[in-house]
Amino acid sequence: MEKVKIPTVSRPKPLQLSDTRVFVVTKDNYEEFVKEFTDAYGDLAFVALSMKDYENLALNVADIKRYLEQQNEIIVYYEKAVTEEKE
Amino acid sequence: MLKLYLLIFVVGIIGIAGYGAKYYYDTTQATIATLRENNVKLETAVETSEQSLKTLQGDMVKLGNLNKELSISLQKAEAYGDELRNKLSKLNLVVEALKDSKQLEGKMNGATANLWRGFMGDTGGDGKRPLPQWLLPLPGRTGDQSSNQSGEGENTDSIKAETPPAQ
Repeated sequence: MEKVKIPTVSRPKPLQLSDTRVFVVTKDNYEEFVKEFTDAYGDLAFVALSMKDYENLALNVADIKRYLEQQNEIIVYYEKAVTEEKE
Repeated sequence: MLKLYLLIFVVGIIGIAGYGAKYYYDTTQATIATLRENNVKLETAVETSEQSLKTLQGDMVKLGNLNKELSISLQKAEAYGDELRNKLSKLNLVVEALKDSKQLEGKMNGATANLWRGFMGDTGGDGKRPLPQWLLPLPGRTGDQSSNQSGEGENTDSIKAETPPAQ
């Protein structure tokens, strides 16, 4: 019986992610935040998230991470399945 | 005259018998040759099917082992999300923020930086890239100091697995 030979292909380019910064702002440190933020970035313009939305975002990223890892494991599974073992 | 007929008859009988014997011999030899060829083919077929069976059995074992490994890996990939969900369910981030916003901010930034580096490392990239400036300990900035370089400062276990918001 002839086994079908499927060549494995190279993986995609690695991720190159940029760092992101979070500021935690409360009524107590708002003034300090405004000063620090303006010193660092110039204009006072920012995106705000509630803690709940931050949690949701964190959980969403965690789920994407889970999916990527599982997808990767499945690729590894297929690669091993179609690769002849060296004896 | 009778002797001549008798002779012709006997010669005829002997000829027929000889022809019959020759025909039988030839047919038998042909049959033997065919059987020999068939036997060779059958032996080859048996050998091939035995080989195929062996290959299939080997593949079954290999795939069984791979399946086991895959199940374990798939399960392992669930751990991060489960851990994070568990931590977030125990924490109230609003309370944490009101208690010490700088510390919480540091933990979030530390965990975020680690997460990005984890992604890059897992995909074959540079997972050990230096941390950004705002995560490095600076004198007089207690919040950022506690932000730690790895998301593992004091009490960081509470949210060290925290993931980041978008930039």
